[in-house]
Amino acid sequence: MLTRRDIIIKWTTISVAALLLELLFGFLLGGAVIFGVHLFLPPLIVGIVASLEDTHAGTFFALACGVLCDLALPGVFPCLYTLAFTLAALACSYLAKNVVQPGPLCSLIVSALTFAVADLFIMAALGLTDRAPFLEMASVAVREMALSCVLVLVCHPVLTFLHRKFTI
Amino acid sequence: MKKFFSKYGIWVLAATVLLAVLLSVLSYFSATSSIMRNAMGIVASPFRAAATGVTGWFEDKRHYYADYNELLAENQKLRDELATLRADEQQAERDREENKLLRELLGLREQRRDFVFESAKVLEHSGSNWTRTLTLNRGTNHGVAVNNVVVSSEGYMIGIVTEAGLNWCTVQELVDTDTEIGALVFRTGDVVIAEGDFALMQKNKLKVTYLPADTALLVGDYIMTSGLGGYYPSNIALGVVERVEADDNGLAQYAVLAPLVDYNALTEVFIIKDYEIVE
Repeated sequence: MLTRRDIIIKWTTISVAALLLELLFGFLLGGAVIFGVHLFLPPLIVGIVASLEDTHAGTFFALACGVLCDLALPGVFPCLYTLAFTLAALACSYLAKNVVQPGPLCSLIVSALTFAVADLFIMAALGLTDRAPFLEMASVAVREMALSCVLVLVCHPVLTFLHRKFTI
Repeated sequence: MKKFFSKYGIWVLAATVLLAVLLSVLSYFSATSSIMRNAMGIVASPFRAAATGVTGWFEDKRHYYADYNELLAENQKLRDELATLRADEQQAERDREENKLLRELLGLREQRRDFVFESAKVLEHSGSNWTRTLTLNRGTNHGVAVNNVVVSSEGYMIGIVTEAGLNWCTVQELVDTDTEIGALVFRTGDVVIAEGDFALMQKNKLKVTYLPADTALLVGDYIMTSGLGGYYPSNIALGVVERVEADDNGLAQYAVLAPLVDYNALTEVFIIKDYEIVE
């Protein structure tokens, strides 16, 4: 059983690690366009943390990440990531506790799931404008998801290490 | 599954909805940018500047060694262009004198275009695949407001300010899906609409729609802002027509417009804070 102090240290460390991963990603690959898309890291962090941690904690972490992304990044509508990340985190937590054991494969699946939820929201919002053909949006979403999920190779070991350090 | 979501989901979703509504309401009612976004923008500003500085330095070093032959070829091309432009300038000078004389004869007011510019540095090119924006290092502190037009040093349109914080602002690029600007064809004077399209956005292009039935657009035609409605200044170059196509139902035509600005190379831009045009 973790004490209140341990919990605070644990979540501060995870948040700082997530921020450092994002900064490192921004410096190294921020402007890179691969196969016509930019890579996007936050869904991976949200999905993996939600799959590793307790449902409540993971979902609130996702909620905080969503709010931060909505405040810092341009979005298709103002509360896109707040809604998408929280819903995705709930689903990721359910998957990790009932369907797939947490591990590299689970991290890959939950990352793809988080992307899918966020992209569905975006596609629904853009679809209403009549200026975004569905096939084009789906193509961008699939490329973004497939290429960004490669970054699981970096995110999974870091976040799993922190989870084990503070839980076991 | 039902038990899982009833145990964990309800109040987490309630908190999410509350926050989502708060973000949306703040965003909707704020004329510049919401308080929270403004604060986040101010905090993020130095980090964005640092990131741009570091990546810019690496890019410079890479280009320094890689682009020598390309630069030689570009230099020759620019020399040729300069020679042509010098001849054009001499002709334009003669035309200006003639125009001035004729205006005096007809008793017309002298044409003028007064712009109040604010120069700004690009802090960040958006890394999103779904929207196209730039973040600049000027905000309400410097007199920048939502709907100000942003142009390049050559005077070509880059986009519109959509959010303005204290020391930052977000510019929606011309090619973004949300763009919709009254425009006209420079050669014919036909009034049209320049609008973003998601498929074309991926190729850094946009659409020209509502083409008059009898219009004869040519590849290379310049499209300018119309200035109708007074939202944006008139006669700012948006781009050139790349091709003309029929829309999905085959009844109407649209043109594909290539902006004159290379968005990836932008580092410094100019915000038009105020303007007065006499035509």
